Amino acid sequence: MASLSLKHIEKVYPDGYQAVTDFNLEVEDKEFIIFVGPSGCGKSTTLRMIAGLEDISSGELLIDGVKMNDVEPKDRDIAMVFQSYALYPHLTVRDNMGFALKLRKVPQAEIDEKVNEAAKILDLEKYLDRKPKALSGGQRQRVAMGRAIVRNPKVFLMDEPLSNLDAKLRVQMRAEISKLHEKLGTTIIYVTHDQTEAMTLGTRIVVMKDGIVQQINTPEFLYSMPINLFVAGFIGSPQMNFMDALVELKDGDAYLHIGENTLKVPDDRKNALIDGGYDGKTVVLGIRPENIKADEAFLAANADSQIKSTINVREMLGAEVFLYFDVNGQQTIARVEPDTPYKNGDEAVFALDMSKIHLFDKETELNLLYKE
Amino acid sequence: MKRNTTAYKSKQFLMFAGPALILFCMVIIVPFIYGLFLTFTSWDGVSADKPFVGFANYVSAFKDAYFWSAVARTILYSAFAVVLVNVVAFLLAYMVTSGVKGQNFFRAGFFIPNLIGGIVLGYVWKFVFNRAFVAIGDKLTGGSTPSLLSTTGGAMFCLILVSVWQYAGYMMLIYVAGFMSVSDTLKEAAMIDGCTASQAMRNVTIPLMRTSFTTCIFLSITRCFVVYDVNLSLTRGEPFFSSVMAAMHVYNKAFTYKDYGTGQAEALILFIICAIIGILQVYFSKKGEVEA
Repeated sequence: MASLSLKHIEKVYPDGYQAVTDFNLEVEDKEFIIFVGPSGCGKSTTLRMIAGLEDISSGELLIDGVKMNDVEPKDRDIAMVFQSYALYPHLTVRDNMGFALKLRKVPQAEIDEKVNEAAKILDLEKYLDRKPKALSGGQRQRVAMGRAIVRNPKVFLMDEPLSNLDAKLRVQMRAEISKLHEKLGTTIIYVTHDQTEAMTLGTRIVVMKDGIVQQINTPEFLYSMPINLFVAGFIGSPQMNFMDALVELKDGDAYLHIGENTLKVPDDRKNALIDGGYDGKTVVLGIRPENIKADEAFLAANADSQIKSTINVREMLGAEVFLYFDVNGQQTIARVEPDTPYKNGDEAVFALDMSKIHLFDKETELNLLYKE
Repeated sequence: MKRNTTAYKSKQFLMFAGPALILFCMVIIVPFIYGLFLTFTSWDGVSADKPFVGFANYVSAFKDAYFWSAVARTILYSAFAVVLVNVVAFLLAYMVTSGVKGQNFFRAGFFIPNLIGGIVLGYVWKFVFNRAFVAIGDKLTGGSTPSLLSTTGGAMFCLILVSVWQYAGYMMLIYVAGFMSVSDTLKEAAMIDGCTASQAMRNVTIPLMRTSFTTCIFLSITRCFVVYDVNLSLTRGEPFFSSVMAAMHVYNKAFTYKDYGTGQAEALILFIICAIIGILQVYFSKKGEVEA
């Protein structure tokens, strides 16, 4: 297993399109790194540059301290799992898994041993003599993983490996990949556009947009301390609520006016508004759906952070209920207990947990409360 | 009307497949059966009389040494032409799918010989062999250079060369489709697994193109076996009948020597040989094909 270093990596295509800009990342041994972002953000391109399938326009890629920019993919000691699995249809599962070792002229007995071992880990022993077309999507996906495992490479690269599976299988495979990472102790770089996969699998997440890294940190940190509006909106499902709020500083306190609602900013958060000179300016208030509450006890204790609205949609999910309503023309979601009495069309009062709010500059979109 | 009745199904079948089936019967099945009937007659190709002679035509076909030497020559010609056509077509397809500049232009260019009729093609190449190459040879050697078409081995060589030139572009298109059907991801997976470019070609691309190989080899075998037009216009079977292919022999037998019955029997034998080779080739090639 290995460490990986990406220094000022850039990718510019011949037509001048810049896919990746100044990408910097240090990956420690045994880390599970997730590249996440919307389509076209450059995450797969970065992964392909690490694999050697795309040239690096500028910057340095080091694996275990050795520069790999001009090294052929086969000599980088990496394995890759593709979105489409990329299994060789003319070979059996056994031959697919042993293909790379055969090319390296590993003795057949050793190949058999490694293939059988990987098949045991992935529960593929019954399917070793089948061709890929005789396997289900989940089994094919496991064969693709097995093909990577038998190589025992320095780094595993995975390019949206679960996106072709149905929702149920995806959840199952997610858990299996997580277990596999623990079992093998491998360095994994995993690309996905699914923030749930990113949050559940990664030890660190790299959030990208338009080829630029937005933030790199642990899932917990990204969720609680997003660096900007994009990260705040991308991480979390349902996504964070955003409302334009007019700032008023009065008698040493800070207030946010959202339409007819006025919210008092807690003492530990008001300094960002005071120091930044935001009096009379509009900022973006961000609050996650679970921090908007409707229970009596919370409402009573938070009289100065209440908002009133009419329920547009009530979505019952079993363990929780999503209530959709408008605040000053902006759709807002509250994640509340399933015993909530509110129905579609009801007038409702909510209280915001002001200790969990995020404040963003309207123009720069940066989090005013951001702390490392 | 109930949809699972035989009448309904027959009506539906005739509606969709009827017109094509009638045409196929009229231009293929009926002439074939009529031809089969003629093999049992001593018809001269002109008169209204078609005297029944039983298997006499087959007996004389089996005794016709010229026919069998033409068949042997056709097998030899086909063996060389099929291999060369496919090798050249595969290499051309590889070139025009490798991202070379102007690849669409090259694709169209290599296909054009296939659009020119065999007769025209034969005459064009006859001019090239008899005039152009001879003139170049004369200039280079300073003496008199014989045309390749005037020697027995040379005529066969020319026939093979022109066939390769004619068919390679057509087969190239089938190989192009084969190359394009192999996913780039598989090639990338092969590269990451440790393949060099040639290993990826050998271990991944070629095995996945077996359908293209099956089709191209079948088409080239069947085309080469019944070659006539180029044979007629390029060599006319000369010199000394050394380049008479089976189809030309059959034609001459039936129409030049007015022995239609024997000619037809020989045509049927040629058809059976051709069908056996084609079916065996397709059977063995199909066995190894894979579905993605």
